[in-house]
Amino acid sequence: MQITVNGQTHDLVVKDNTLLIEVIREQLQLTGTHSGCDTTQCGCCTVLMDQVAVKSCTILARQAQGTSIQTIEGLAQHDHLHPVQEAFSEEHGLQCGYCTPGMIMSTVHLLQRYPAPTDEQIQEGLAGNICRCTGYVNIIKAVKSAAKKIQEAKA
Amino acid sequence: MNAPQELLRKEDLRLITGHGKFTADWSYDGMCYAYVIRSPYAHGVIKSMDYQDVLRAPGVLKVITSQDVEQAGMKSLPTGATMQNPDGQNQVLAPMPVLATDKVRFVGQPIAMVIANTYEAAKNAAELVQMDIEVLDAVTDFDTACASGAAQLHEQASGNLSLHFVKGDQAATEKAFEQATFISSMGVKSQRLIGSPMELRAVVGKYDPIADRYTIHTPNQGIQGMLGALEHITGIPKAQIDLQTQDVGGSFGIRGGAFSESALILLATKLVNKPVKWTGTRSEIFLSDWHGRGLELNGFIALDAQGKILGLRFENKADLGAYTCYFGSFIGARNISITMNGVYDIPALSMSSELYFTNTVPVSAYRGAGRPDIAYAVERLIDHAAHEHGFDPVELRRKNFIAPHQFPYNNQIGSVYDCGEFDRLLSRALEISQYDQFESRRQQALGHHKLRGIGIAYFIEASAAGTSPKDQVIGQFTQDGGLHMYAVTGASGQGHETSFAQIVHEKTGLQNDQIHYVAGQSDKIMVGSGTGGSRTLYGVGSAVLNLCEQIIEKSMPLAAELFGVTESQLSFVDGTWQVIGTSQILTISQIVQKTYVDGQSHPLNSTGEASSGATFPNGCHIAEVEIDPQTGVTEIVQYTAVDDVGVVISPALVQGQIHGGIVQGIGQAFYEQAIYDASGQLLTGSYMDYAMPKAGCLKHITTEKMEVPTKNNALGSKGVGESGCSGSLPALSNAVINALRPKGITALDMPFTPAKVWQALQASE
Repeated sequence: MQITVNGQTHDLVVKDNTLLIEVIREQLQLTGTHSGCDTTQCGCCTVLMDQVAVKSCTILARQAQGTSIQTIEGLAQHDHLHPVQEAFSEEHGLQCGYCTPGMIMSTVHLLQRYPAPTDEQIQEGLAGNICRCTGYVNIIKAVKSAAKKIQEAKA
Repeated sequence: MNAPQELLRKEDLRLITGHGKFTADWSYDGMCYAYVIRSPYAHGVIKSMDYQDVLRAPGVLKVITSQDVEQAGMKSLPTGATMQNPDGQNQVLAPMPVLATDKVRFVGQPIAMVIANTYEAAKNAAELVQMDIEVLDAVTDFDTACASGAAQLHEQASGNLSLHFVKGDQAATEKAFEQATFISSMGVKSQRLIGSPMELRAVVGKYDPIADRYTIHTPNQGIQGMLGALEHITGIPKAQIDLQTQDVGGSFGIRGGAFSESALILLATKLVNKPVKWTGTRSEIFLSDWHGRGLELNGFIALDAQGKILGLRFENKADLGAYTCYFGSFIGARNISITMNGVYDIPALSMSSELYFTNTVPVSAYRGAGRPDIAYAVERLIDHAAHEHGFDPVELRRKNFIAPHQFPYNNQIGSVYDCGEFDRLLSRALEISQYDQFESRRQQALGHHKLRGIGIAYFIEASAAGTSPKDQVIGQFTQDGGLHMYAVTGASGQGHETSFAQIVHEKTGLQNDQIHYVAGQSDKIMVGSGTGGSRTLYGVGSAVLNLCEQIIEKSMPLAAELFGVTESQLSFVDGTWQVIGTSQILTISQIVQKTYVDGQSHPLNSTGEASSGATFPNGCHIAEVEIDPQTGVTEIVQYTAVDDVGVVISPALVQGQIHGGIVQGIGQAFYEQAIYDASGQLLTGSYMDYAMPKAGCLKHITTEKMEVPTKNNALGSKGVGESGCSGSLPALSNAVINALRPKGITALDMPFTPAKVWQALQASE
């Protein structure tokens, strides 16, 4: 099958039951995408598939045939961090960092849908991502700060 | 990629770009995979285990059984120190075997480990095992465990009792109750929780037969704790094990020591002579990471006519789970006793705890390890007594606070509180939360059909002195003038690399990007405690401070020589050596660069060390909630946390710890509960049925620090990791009861789920 990950197209041999996360972590060695549960709840494995946040533990590799996948490793462009990445650090929106890649990818998609999200939209947009360390207070601050950064960059 | 200047922590760049390295991210050529066969029954006698079909399955290299474990001479998992019963007899210990031998005692207990070429092959093969287990009745909580005729877990533990722990002065407390004008009692449960660090626990092991050395990767809180446990279990000397850990995805006390899987991987990699990886699924983690809490605390308080507390007594029960694991016994015994008087001057204290075995996952330390539980019990009891006997809950607290002039305050039960300004913090929290205007907010809420409640908690907790007599930190300079530091303690999100670098930068003037901290390197021989008991910043941080002092002192003669002046002509100002009265300056980094000799240890290389005592972080948290009586849903509408964590080094990181702790408390107060059915099956075995706090559960929070420096360490800092949940459990619970009290509800156990609150409201009408 053919799949594009972070702009690079790969021809891969996968089994029918191979999951997208297995392709990403094991075949492509992109270990920034994490596995955190087996019930599609925690969101540690979130990646963008054709710019939509998906849980890569619940997508068969074959379902990603022909799509363009973006993982956390592909978010920074030309040595510049993405505004969401910057905001998560600046607002202390991460502690152990395990949920962070998924949290950041979900936020990227959230801000594509809602460039100036309300508290309710943030809450709904991150409902599928669990963080055990931060209490989410600074994650929500980071989402708002990132929204502002993106708006300002556009202005 | 270069780190932009504005990144908050040194850890962040790798973690926000996907370049962190957690255990499952380690891989080796030729690596094979392990899958653990676990007990599907809570209690049973193993009649036979037939692995023939497993061994015949494709890709299987080996099945490690209890016989292999025995042949390898492995011991059971360590149990921690033994405590004594009132009659002087030792408590009954039940160390957990690496693999179950004759009996299984909880669902999820490891029975065997399958090693195969792929994870899928190992997992599929494991399903072919033929188990013959005679299922026995199970006991799944302390109430059933202590009942007459209950199933017995361990032959040596009659009535499933491990320990009857007593502390304090029983006679004096009895007298206090005889003299009391008012007596109140309040029983609370601190329910069993699943700690749930987000990283799936994993172990990767590799054996080098020529050097007879092992490499192991696994989450831990510090090299010595993990290596000590591995040496204890396997008999392999620590010096032969190279433990390499970079990032740990949360721990909260759970992953401080070795689990069965860590020992088994060391055996597996040697037996198959290949690197082996085990990664638990979340379902397995629910059944194999130690659980937390599992306590019942029944408090009794004696007051005189003016509300002065005369005595306090607790009678508790603790659920140990199936075995005594390393921290298990301390929680329901020592840890809930040491601050049992809270922040109050109480002349007579006594405590009695019974610790029971049950057919459940063993319980160990989880964020606070008993201290949040006792803070919760004390502050619920104070509130309850105030309302029962007509005292104002604020004034009752104030009247009984240990006053600043009483420090150092010996609570007669093993703790000497060194400092605290409880009244000042309480006043500030009342001010921020606009406590005096609460009644008008309650009335407003009634207007939109909500029950509003406010809850105060003044907690104190004892952060640890540490298991080691001192902490050491090795400092080694590189040719470019950079400093590499090494200590035992390993982070799991706290930001050690950032905080230690900040101390070094502020003291020595070395730049942040020149300072590197690496936890636990097997080739560095160091003394020190792991991360735990909220002590790392002041324990190891004080050693870092000592390292800085040594570096500055030793750099003086080098600076004098480089300048060609005498030492008396030098002063160290703003991180640079200056020749007094001139503009000649040298940084420590420049001194190192100019004096570095290739291949030689630089003369500024030093080992910093410090001994630190326990500290007593404390604070006043005030929660305000609104309950919808139609649905039972509680919303936290306002939360105020005023904390005294002593001198604060990294304010943002401290605030992050407080946020995280408070929300773990919110999890316990409103969502989380590990539930077993009568047969011992865990009903809450995944995030589908074990509710975790989600984004937005806490929207409006104000945190403020009030620094009362401690003299128990060189930095003046107190612990912070476990403060948040010590404050939030009682503050939230008092707020919920405050909201429900007008409806006649004066007691309710956590978690305050909508169903439970709604049912309580229905029953009250």
